[in-house]
Amino acid sequence: MNRKELFDIANTWFEGQGWQPFPFQTQTWTAFLQGKNGLLNAPTGSGKTYALWIPVVLDYIKKNPDYKTKHKPGLKAIWITPLRALSVEIKQAAERVANELDTQLTVGIRTGDTTTAERSRQKKKMPDLLVTTPESMQLMLASKDYPKIFKSCTAIIIDEWHELLGTKRGVQTELALSRLKTVAPKMRIWGVSATIGNLQQAMEVLLGAESEALQNSVMIKAHLNKKINVLSVLPEKMDAYPWRGHMGLHLVDEVAEIIKKSKTTLIFTNVRSACEIWYQALLEKYPEFAGEMAMHHGSINRETRQWVEQAIRDEQLKAVVCTSSLDLGVDFAPVETVVQIGGPKGVARFLQRAGRSGHRPGQESNIYFLATHAIELVEASALRRAVAETVVEDRIPYLNSWDVLVQYLVTLAVSDGFYPDEIFKEVKSTFCYQAITEEDWQFCLNFITKGSQSLQAYDEYKKVEIEDDGKFKVNSRSIALRHRMQIGTIVGDAVMKVKYFSGGYIGTIEEWFISKLNPGDVFIFAGRKLELYRVKNMEVLVKRADPKAKATHASWMGGRLTLSAQMSELLREEMYAANTDDMSNELKALYPVFERQRKESIVPDEDEFLIETFKTREGYHAIFYPFEGRYVHEALASLLAFRISLLSPITFSLAYNDYGFELLSDKEIDMQQVLDNNLFTPEHLHSDLQRSLNATEMARRKFRDIAVIAGLVFTGYPGKVVKTKHLQSSSQLIFEVFRDYEPDNLLFQQAYRETFEHQLEEGRLLLALERIEHQQIVWKQCEKPTPFSFPIITDRLRERLSSETLAERIKRMTANYMK
Amino acid sequence: MTLEITINHNHFILHYSGAMYWAEQSMLLISDVHLGKVSHFRKHGAAIPDIAKYKNFRKLDEVVEYFNPEKICFLGDLFHSSLNTEWELFEEWVHRIQKPIVLVAGNHDIIPVKKFEALRINICSEWVLNGFLLVHHPEEREGFFTMSGHIHPAVQLQGMGRQRMKLPCFFRSEKQMILPAFGAFTGTYIMQPGENDKIYGIIKNEVIKINVEKL
Repeated sequence: MNRKELFDIANTWFEGQGWQPFPFQTQTWTAFLQGKNGLLNAPTGSGKTYALWIPVVLDYIKKNPDYKTKHKPGLKAIWITPLRALSVEIKQAAERVANELDTQLTVGIRTGDTTTAERSRQKKKMPDLLVTTPESMQLMLASKDYPKIFKSCTAIIIDEWHELLGTKRGVQTELALSRLKTVAPKMRIWGVSATIGNLQQAMEVLLGAESEALQNSVMIKAHLNKKINVLSVLPEKMDAYPWRGHMGLHLVDEVAEIIKKSKTTLIFTNVRSACEIWYQALLEKYPEFAGEMAMHHGSINRETRQWVEQAIRDEQLKAVVCTSSLDLGVDFAPVETVVQIGGPKGVARFLQRAGRSGHRPGQESNIYFLATHAIELVEASALRRAVAETVVEDRIPYLNSWDVLVQYLVTLAVSDGFYPDEIFKEVKSTFCYQAITEEDWQFCLNFITKGSQSLQAYDEYKKVEIEDDGKFKVNSRSIALRHRMQIGTIVGDAVMKVKYFSGGYIGTIEEWFISKLNPGDVFIFAGRKLELYRVKNMEVLVKRADPKAKATHASWMGGRLTLSAQMSELLREEMYAANTDDMSNELKALYPVFERQRKESIVPDEDEFLIETFKTREGYHAIFYPFEGRYVHEALASLLAFRISLLSPITFSLAYNDYGFELLSDKEIDMQQVLDNNLFTPEHLHSDLQRSLNATEMARRKFRDIAVIAGLVFTGYPGKVVKTKHLQSSSQLIFEVFRDYEPDNLLFQQAYRETFEHQLEEGRLLLALERIEHQQIVWKQCEKPTPFSFPIITDRLRERLSSETLAERIKRMTANYMK
Repeated sequence: MTLEITINHNHFILHYSGAMYWAEQSMLLISDVHLGKVSHFRKHGAAIPDIAKYKNFRKLDEVVEYFNPEKICFLGDLFHSSLNTEWELFEEWVHRIQKPIVLVAGNHDIIPVKKFEALRINICSEWVLNGFLLVHHPEEREGFFTMSGHIHPAVQLQGMGRQRMKLPCFFRSEKQMILPAFGAFTGTYIMQPGENDKIYGIIKNEVIKINVEKL
């Protein structure tokens, strides 16, 4: 069959659905049938699923002209999705094509939810099209004879690649692809990505730097220009706007009005606790929403989430309060309006959320921005410009993630075993490990076989063995079992399951939150008031609480976002505009706040760098305003605190938000000395950062994930869950052991590298310091806290840095007891 | 380096390693060493640097040399797990120091009693001595002052300018004292002091009495 005939089949099917293929869809079909690899840049809900399922099926038809009567067994294509919740939808789309074109092709799902029975059925007879996740893909590489399964595969599609890129799951995917290229040489590789700043690089990472696959590839862009309207939710009177109040609940009436006007509204919050609080606040004030409003976030159980998603599609809901859990995924056609509560911190995220509304052809997307405190309104006005100018962030891919490589090598050793020479070539062909040296490679091999770099007496280390013919293999069943369990570990916050005492799973909650509660305490979670009954193993058993009981809202640590470089720049420009006549509505609304700020201090201009100092009951505050985003401020605060501490012994506690940072001390900082000594210099940046205590602390936290991925600590045995608290302390202890005995260990060093590159954003930091060097420093000694400083000084999450001796500090400190 | 205290007319010297010397008995009390933990992890495929396991023995040597006690009493959790190669290191150590040893067994001590007896180590579940009760798990018993371990106590300090710090400590209440974990490869648990509790914190190479204040 030639291409025209194949296209006719596809077009006829499209017409049957009452659709017309988009140009990007037919372009993808053509490229795919030509045998090309590629990256499809298309937003969620644009028809990207059919852009790729169709040619997979057409390709099968082409190779098997008698496809209607004879079925050729064997895996044809793999679809990888980052969220297993999406797998059902993707399967349905594939089945629709496969069945309605009479192909007899079967579609299966393989995720963490797949039953053992189903998995062994698949092992005997693979479905033709398989939908899976990066973790399950790794697990398949950990099963015996995996090359047989994949041999016949002609395509692998990585969906939402922008979400995986810049994560270690993305690295996992790169490694899996490097193996599949050898095992299934006819396989095409396709990625699907939303718009990000570095699309070209995204494709390089997917296909391998300078790879053959990359040379035979195309990038296809959907170009679906949709109009996005950004509207600020402003109160009638600005003086009612709180200086900090991070929830924005004073605007609950305005949000209710928006909900009433629209068919379905999605209300996005940045963190799960805000989601819970908003849901409760809306219900309390507008009981009539009950039954028409739902909540959706990552800690709520899957059934409930799926129910909510279906209810949105069925137009049963007026409003859903949600978090990033609804960022991805399939089309929700009825959504007309989106409300964003609090700064979304990044343009790409904001666009994605805006794009959730107005899916019907010709519709515009409406997104309301609700600032939770006064200064955040500046973000609204910056976002509008970002949308107009389509400024989008990059996703930075990981390099040299030794933890993931070590895990992958054990995976291969668990299944059929591997020969290092063959695998080294594959690993080096990936983007992540393109710079790997022979020494690095040897380190990884030593790590998994000897547990160290030199063989020692008295050693019982056991993991991967080297067989006589040089094959690296895991022969211990218990090690293999434990490794398979480890692969699926989603590294993140330590979570516990919340269940009713009488049975019924409600969702997950972070351990630190529960550890603050006692049995009998009442908390609000998943929109319900729950009484803590007891905590057993990793389960939190609860009972329904008296509706009148006093309750605290569940909260989560995770998900603190930082302003992207692009957002920060836009934000600064908007801030400078406050001193001009060219002000947006948001800035005009902020006028009273700016006035108040100017009373004590200034609103800085482009060439000014503002520092404020004042004293309160808590001690001496010094606030600096670089407007560079939380992460850069975290690093800057640490850097500056360190440099000041070199001048004289002093102890600081540090706080930061997206606008600035604070150094708080029990002694007065000699600011004149700070200025005279030019402490903002970009010189010696790296070594100073490294010496600042904070970097060690941050690396120690990064090391937790690394230790889990590299198999240094266990997250659990079947039926016997190791408390994550123990895992946490073990990884800290291991960090210290490495620091004391093996500081050149690559995994230990990786913790620092990730801290500098991904957390401290050293590159951005350097640019910020260079900018500050050219600014004039304006130091304001204030009587009391200014509106700008308020959200920072009230932040309770703090780091510490000290150059005093411990004994000195302890003399002024106390261990407090409650009466 | 040390801090001297008195409990019921007996004199004790607290050492920064977490060990405590009982002067009247010339006895060294040590709790929660958790030997064998490093090897236990390695045996199960976690590549923790092997060299770390020698640190506990160096610490033990140092503190024995410092006090030169007549006898040593371990307050439980001497070994973290079942037998592994660290046992051999322990045997060597016992032969080397040549002192009577008593082990008040803890929840982690699952190594067969015979193995200890072969080293002439006395093993018991508790030891009553001159009005003092030596056990692994903290408990208050009428007529006794208890010395125990198990908890790995630490305390959280606070100060002006929102300063905070966590220190491992000797935790003393009216009727008992909980020793910090001696082991190099162990974690801590933050205790909430009460009005009448006394806290002796460990900072680097010092033991310091911590001020306890009402919040």
